[in-house]
Amino acid sequence: MNLKFILTMAWYYGIKTIVRGPSYIIASLSTPLTLLFLVFVLSHGALVKFAVVGGLIAFVGSVGLSGAGDSAFFRLQLRIQDLYISTNIRPFDYMIAFTLSYLVFAMPGIVLYVYLGELYHLFNLYDSVIMVLLMVSLIMTTTSISFMISGSIHHLRNIWGITGIITILTSILPPTFYPYYYVPRNFLYIIALSPTTPAAVIAQGVFGLSPMMNSMVYIMILETAIYLTLARFLVRWREN
Amino acid sequence: MITISGLNKIYNKNKIALNIENQDIDNGIVSIIGQNGAGKTTLLRILSTQLKATSGDAFIDNISVMKEYNKIRKKTVSIPQEAAPIGILTSYEQVYMYLTARGFSFHSAREEANRALKEVGLYNVRNRPTDELSGGMKRKMFVAMALASNADTIFLDEPTTGLDPLSRMEVWSAIKELTGNTILTTHYMEEAEELSKKIYMMDSGNFIGSGTIDELLLPLKGRIRIESREKLDNSYHIGTLYIKYVDSKDLPDYENKYYSIKKITIEDLFIIRGVNLES
Repeated sequence: MNLKFILTMAWYYGIKTIVRGPSYIIASLSTPLTLLFLVFVLSHGALVKFAVVGGLIAFVGSVGLSGAGDSAFFRLQLRIQDLYISTNIRPFDYMIAFTLSYLVFAMPGIVLYVYLGELYHLFNLYDSVIMVLLMVSLIMTTTSISFMISGSIHHLRNIWGITGIITILTSILPPTFYPYYYVPRNFLYIIALSPTTPAAVIAQGVFGLSPMMNSMVYIMILETAIYLTLARFLVRWREN
Repeated sequence: MITISGLNKIYNKNKIALNIENQDIDNGIVSIIGQNGAGKTTLLRILSTQLKATSGDAFIDNISVMKEYNKIRKKTVSIPQEAAPIGILTSYEQVYMYLTARGFSFHSAREEANRALKEVGLYNVRNRPTDELSGGMKRKMFVAMALASNADTIFLDEPTTGLDPLSRMEVWSAIKELTGNTILTTHYMEEAEELSKKIYMMDSGNFIGSGTIDELLLPLKGRIRIESREKLDNSYHIGTLYIKYVDSKDLPDYENKYYSIKKITIEDLFIIRGVNLES
């Protein structure tokens, strides 16, 4: 693993771009914050804690998925991926570098949600450690999915539409903004294909908002391993 | 030295993009010229390990491109056709990041990035986001990457396509700073003439000739090119132009008439090879 490249990319493409392109963070935050507001109004504040915890998960998930647009843009438009193929980095390094960049890029949004969580007395130290692990796992799985999607795209224009659909399916449809027990159990397992579902269910359990559902912990671990492995083999790199 | 041996690339629908039996490419700065679709980019992408060949192999200093691609990647740099910078990052950041991908330490990446940016004339703008740079400066940033990497062999795929004449000259001067063996593809004949000692001509996925400029122009030695919008006997018809090659001694016959008289360039070799003669 080329850690030097991964850290450099995270520094430049993650941290430096926060200052140079803050509109992107605001855009990523706009949907979860709008939904948080709607949940607050419609439930008269009753479900707002769900929306704070779920909003954080939806935000991190959507940041990871938006990587599909970036990686397709780098490959098809900028030709930057070709430039890096002919160095010695491996596709996995390239993907992890993007993942870490997105994670640090998402920090201002994460901080905002942590602040909201504090306002509602949601977090303590133990829960926060679990939440960090969930966030790392989630950004890895969503970035893996985004790289697999972008690798199958031949025309750049298609990526924006596909990313939009996938983001809704993985960030808003799962029980991120509402209690998971509102959803029939069978349907919950179907939408658990999206890594945001087990992440949201676990988070609701950890923060005491809903009963803990242990099976989702196993699903989350399994999905992280599966999506990372799939990405390792399916990410488009040296062309045939 | 690059040795190509039975290299083929066939895309879907049996479209043959490359079909080279045997060809050596010399060291130094050389150009591969050819029209769009001649196979230049496909060849460079295979040589720089971005693309797998359908069959055959090529060797750079006796290292197999197909089998030992990790070794090839250590000793070569490839700047893809129409590569564009990440606009939000500066040229320094992008050269530095590229060097860390090539395994440079943080310290040497910093040293080499600064050195290369100085050599290509970008040092004073190294901290500006590349979105704010001119087209020529953006291309020079990629040349700086090649320069900083200290690679033995550098592939530049159409490094000046789409640039205005002044920007092209800026990039040319940067390319001349490169010390490794440099293989560049171009369809600008004057670029090949300006930069390289030896030129390789490609057409329909194969090499059709090679040599110095003088050697290549030998078939047209002592001739000049006459262009007219009206039909000329024994001429080549391209678009609205009729082109004819005549001996220099016959020049007076064409002077003071509505003809355009031009010096022979490598472009003319493609005209006499690729266009049917109209009687």
